[in-house]
Amino acid sequence: MSNLAELLPALLIAAPILLATVPIVLGLRFDRTGWSVAAITTTALFAATAYLAAAVYETGRVVHVLGGWGEPQGIGIELVADEFSVLIALLVTVTAAAVLAYTRTGGPRGNTFYTGYLLLVGGLLGLSMTGDVFNMFVFLEIVGLATYAMIASGDGPESAVAALKYLILGTLGASMYLIGVGFLFMATGALNMDVLGEAIPQIADNGGSDLTLLRAAFAFIFVGFALKVAQWPLHSWQPDAYQHAPDGVTPVIAALVSTVSAYALGRIMYNVFGPEFLTATPYLTEIVVTVGAVSVLAGSTLAVIQRDVKRMFAYSSVSQFGLIVVAYGLVTQTAFVGAVIHLIGHGVIKAGLFIGAGVVAVGYGARTVDEYAGLASNRPFAAGSIALLLIALIGIPPSAGFIGKWYIAVGAVEAELWPIAIVIFLSTMLTLAYSARLLEKMYFTPATGVDSPHPAGVATDGGRAGAVSIGMLGILIVTAIVAIGLGFAGGAFFEWLEPFTSEVFN
Amino acid sequence: MTEIDMLTMAYPPLIVFAAALLVLVLPRVLGFALGALSLASVVAVALFAPEGAHLTGTFLGFAEIQPFYIDDFTRMMGVALGFLGTFAVIYAYSSEASKTMAAFALAYVASAIGAAFAGDWLVLVFMWEIMALTSTLLVWHYGGDAVRAGYRYALAHGIGGSLMLFAVIAHYAQVGTFAYGEGVDYADAVLAGGIADGLPLLLAVLGIGVNVAFVGFHTWLPDTYPRPHFAASVFLAAFTTKTSAYVLLRAVPEGNIYLAYMGGLMAVYGVVFALLQHDMRALLSYHIQAQLGYMVAGIGIGTTIGAAGAMGHLFNNVLYKSLLFMAVGVVIYRTRENDLYKLGGLWREMPLTAIAFFIGALSITAVPGFSGFISKGMVLDAASGYFGGPEHQALYWLLFLGAIGTFLSFIKLGYYVFFHGESDREVRDAKPGQTTAMFAVGGACVVLGLPAIGWPVFTDLLPLVDGAQFAGTDGLETLNPYSMGHLQDSAILIAISAVGFKIIRKPLSKLDYSDPALIVNPAMYHLGRGTMRVTTWTYATVDAAVVNVVTSCYWIGNNPVLAVDAAARRLPMVDVKEHRAADGGHPSTIHLRTGIGTTVLLLTILLTVVLWLLIN
Repeated sequence: MSNLAELLPALLIAAPILLATVPIVLGLRFDRTGWSVAAITTTALFAATAYLAAAVYETGRVVHVLGGWGEPQGIGIELVADEFSVLIALLVTVTAAAVLAYTRTGGPRGNTFYTGYLLLVGGLLGLSMTGDVFNMFVFLEIVGLATYAMIASGDGPESAVAALKYLILGTLGASMYLIGVGFLFMATGALNMDVLGEAIPQIADNGGSDLTLLRAAFAFIFVGFALKVAQWPLHSWQPDAYQHAPDGVTPVIAALVSTVSAYALGRIMYNVFGPEFLTATPYLTEIVVTVGAVSVLAGSTLAVIQRDVKRMFAYSSVSQFGLIVVAYGLVTQTAFVGAVIHLIGHGVIKAGLFIGAGVVAVGYGARTVDEYAGLASNRPFAAGSIALLLIALIGIPPSAGFIGKWYIAVGAVEAELWPIAIVIFLSTMLTLAYSARLLEKMYFTPATGVDSPHPAGVATDGGRAGAVSIGMLGILIVTAIVAIGLGFAGGAFFEWLEPFTSEVFN
Repeated sequence: MTEIDMLTMAYPPLIVFAAALLVLVLPRVLGFALGALSLASVVAVALFAPEGAHLTGTFLGFAEIQPFYIDDFTRMMGVALGFLGTFAVIYAYSSEASKTMAAFALAYVASAIGAAFAGDWLVLVFMWEIMALTSTLLVWHYGGDAVRAGYRYALAHGIGGSLMLFAVIAHYAQVGTFAYGEGVDYADAVLAGGIADGLPLLLAVLGIGVNVAFVGFHTWLPDTYPRPHFAASVFLAAFTTKTSAYVLLRAVPEGNIYLAYMGGLMAVYGVVFALLQHDMRALLSYHIQAQLGYMVAGIGIGTTIGAAGAMGHLFNNVLYKSLLFMAVGVVIYRTRENDLYKLGGLWREMPLTAIAFFIGALSITAVPGFSGFISKGMVLDAASGYFGGPEHQALYWLLFLGAIGTFLSFIKLGYYVFFHGESDREVRDAKPGQTTAMFAVGGACVVLGLPAIGWPVFTDLLPLVDGAQFAGTDGLETLNPYSMGHLQDSAILIAISAVGFKIIRKPLSKLDYSDPALIVNPAMYHLGRGTMRVTTWTYATVDAAVVNVVTSCYWIGNNPVLAVDAAARRLPMVDVKEHRAADGGHPSTIHLRTGIGTTVLLLTILLTVVLWLLIN
C-alpha cells in the first residue's frame, strides 16, 4: 500500500502527459478516440487521487523524491501530497472527469483537443503536487500552454485574439514569478519548499541584504500570481479568455486554472515564506489585503454592468478570487481554511455556471442576460440548476459559497480588520445584484416572441445543432446539488485541513 | 451509560420540535397526545438531567457552544415552560385548535424552551429569532384581524431581535466568548457573567426591553395577544415574555436602579391601562406588562432576594397568567363574546370556569394562600429593604400601587363576567379537556402557595434560595412569607381595593362605554394623529426617494451600457460614440477593454509600488 501510494504522485502527473499523445497517434487510424481516452484517463486519475487521499488521511503527507536526487542541497525534485494538495488534486480530477460529460456532445471535438485537455490536467496535477518552486514554474507554463491552445480552439477570430492576449500576459506573469524564484535562490541557495520554509525565518532574523532579496522575491512572485489569478487591474486577459473559449472549455479553465494558481500562491505564501515572515514584513499583509479587496469590489461592479452571461461570470471570478487573496492576507487559521474552502466551492460553482451557460447557449440560443428571459418555463431543469448555483455563489446558506465566505468573514473579525468585513458584505450585495438580474430574467420575464439574434448553438466542428444531451443536463444538475451539498461540509473541511494548518500556524 | 447520562442526550427543544412535525401527519388525538407528552418529558429532563453543559460543540466555527445547559435557573425555566406547555396542549386539543395551529404552537414552544436551555449567547440569539418567527406564524395562522396585528408584532420583534443580535456580536467582540458566565465579572452580581458593560449592555437591555414590554416598547403586546385563537393566546401569554424576563436576569445580573424603576413604572402603567380595557384578553395582556414590571423591578434591584423574587414571580406568572387566559378563553369559546360589559352572571352557567378563574385571580392579586402572594411579597421586600440592602421607598410604593390596581382590575373582570346580574344566555361549562387543563394549572397555583405543602417545593425549585434560606447582605436570612407584617400588608391591600372598587365602579363603567383614549387623554389622541400625519408624510417622502433610487438602480442594472454612456457624457473631455447594434436593440457590449500594452503598463506600475513599499 505505502509503496503504491508513494509512487502515485509521480504517476498522477506522468500518466496524463504521456497519454496525451495517444489520441494523436490513434487519430492516424481512427476518427473519434480522443473522448474515450480522456474519459478513461481522467476516471483512473480520479480513482488514483482518491486512493492517495486515503493514504494521506491515514499516514500523513506522502513525499515522492524524483530520481533519488539529493536532499541536502535543497534543490532536489520532490512531489508532495499532503492534506492541502490532495484536496486540490481531487477537485482537478473530479472536474476534469465531470466536464467530459458535457464535451461528449457539446464539443469541442477532435483528437487534438483531447490531447490538450490531458496535457492541461497533467499540468494542473503537477502544479498541485510539486514540492519545489522551480518546477512550479515549469508546471505553470505547461498549464498555460495547454490553456492557450484550448482557448484558441474556439471558432472565430475573437478566440484567437483572446488566446494571444492570454499568452502574452500569462507568460509575463510566469516570468515575474521566475524572477522571484531567482531572487529566492540567490538569498537561500535552495529551491525545495521545505528547505526554503526553514531557511527563510533565519534569514529574516539575520536581516541584511538577503532579507531585501527575500522581499523583492515576494514582490515579484505576488505580482506574477496576481496576474495569473486575475486580480484587478491585471485581470484583463481573463474575461476575454473565458468569454471566447468554446463552451466546453470554459468550465475547465474557469474552475481549475485560476484556482490552482491561487492554490500555488497560498502554498508559496504559507509554506515557503511562512506566516511569521508575512506578518513581520511591514506593509506586506496590507498590500495583499488591499489588492484582494480592490479586486472584490471592482470585479463585482464590472460583473453588474455586463450583458453577456459568460463575461459576467468571468468578472464574478475576478471578485471571488479577490476574496481568496484577501483571506490569504489576513494570516489567520480560520481565514486560511476559508480561502481553501472558497477555492473548492468557487471551483465547483463556476464549473456549474459555465456548464449551465453552455447548455443554455446550445439548447436555447441565449448568450446575453436579456435573452435568458423565460428560460424557467422553457428549460425548467437548466434554469433551476443555474438558480441554485447562483444562490450558492451569493452565499446563502446552506451552500458551498456560504461556508467559504463565512470562515473568511470570521477570520477578518478575528484579525479585527473591520473594513474587510464590510468589503465581504458589499461583495455579497453586488453578487446579489448581478445574480438577481439573471434570476429575474429567467423566472419573471416572459420570453420575447422575437427569434434570438444568435443562431442556436453550432458545435465547433458541425455537431447536431440545438441538441442538449442527457449527459450535459445531468452534469449541470449534479454540480448544482454538489454546490449546495458542500454547504454542510464546513466542519469536515476544517478537520481535514487541521494537520496542515496546525503545522503552518504552529 | 446510566439513565441519567442518557438524559443529557435528550435535547428538549428537539423533542418538542419533532412532536410539532408529527402533529401535522398523525391523527389529531394521537398528535396532540404526543405534543403533551413531549412537553411532559421536558419537565422530567429539566428535573433529572445532571448539572452542567451538555451537547457542547462547534457552530459556525465558534467552539464553545452550549445548547443544553442545566443549572438552577434553566431547571426552573424548563419545569415551568414544560408543565404549562403540557396542559396548554391539552387545552388546545379540547378547544378545537387545528393541527396546523398546534404545530406552530409546538414549534414556538420548542424555540422558547431552546432559549431557556441555552448556555451561551449565540444559541440564545438564534432561538430568540426563531421564537419571534414562530410566534408570528402562530398569530398569522388565525387570519382576519390577527394578520395586521401580526405584522406589527413581527416588526417589533424584528427590531428587538436585531438589537439583541448586535448586542451579542458586540459582546463577543469585547470579551471573545459567547458562554454565559465567562469573560465578564461584575462585582455585585447575583450570578456570574452577564453582557459586557457599555454598548453591548445598552443594546441588550433595549432588545430584551421590546420582549418584556418596557413602557413605550409594549404596544405590540395588548395589540397582538387578544387577536388570535383563544388557545393560541394561552401559548403566547406564557412563553415569549417570561423567557425574556429570565434572559434579562442573565444579561443584567448586577441589577440597575433605572431598570428597577422601569419595572415599577410598568407595573403602574400596566394596571392603569388594564383597568380601562373592556376586551377581556386585552385586560389580561396589560396585566402581563404589569406583572413583568414586578420581575423587571426585582432584577433591577439587584439583590439576591430581588432576583429570587423575580424568578419566583416568573414561575408563578407562567402558571396563573395562562390559567386566566384559559378561563377567559372558555368564556369566549362558549359565549363568542370578547367584551366583558356584555357578559354577566356566568357564575351559575359555568361554575367550574368561574372557580378556575378565581384561583388565577387570587394568585395574581397575591392573596395569602396562593402562589402569587409569596413571590410578589419577595419583590416588595426587596424594594422596601426588609432583608437589609438599599431601600427604594418610591419603587416600593409604585409596586404597591400596581398591586392595588391589579386587585381593582380583577375584581372588575370577575364581577362583570361572573356576577353582575343574571346571565341573559344559557351556555354550557368548560369541556372536560379544558377543565382538566385549568384545574391542573390552578391546582399548582394553590399547592405552591400553601405554607406546609407547596412552599418547600417552590423554594427548592427557586434558584438563589437554599431551603428557605438565602444569602442576604448581612449573612443568611430566612424567608417567612406568612409573617404578621406580610399578612397585614395583604389585609390593607384587600381592604383598600374593595373600598376602591365600590367608588370607581360607576365612573369606570361610564368611561369604558366610549373610547377610553378619547376621554382619558384627548391630547394624546391629537398628538398621536399629528405624529401619525408627520410620520406618514415623512414615510411618503422617504418612500418616494427610495423608490426613485431603486428604480434608477434597476434601470442601470438593466441598461448598463446606456448608464455608462450617460455617465461618460457628463464628464468633460470624453468623447462617447453612438454605438447602436445592427438589430436596433441595446448595444451588446461595453467597450471598456484594456489592451495588452495597457495591462503590461499596469503590471509594471503595480510591481513598482509593491517593490517600493516592501523594500523601503
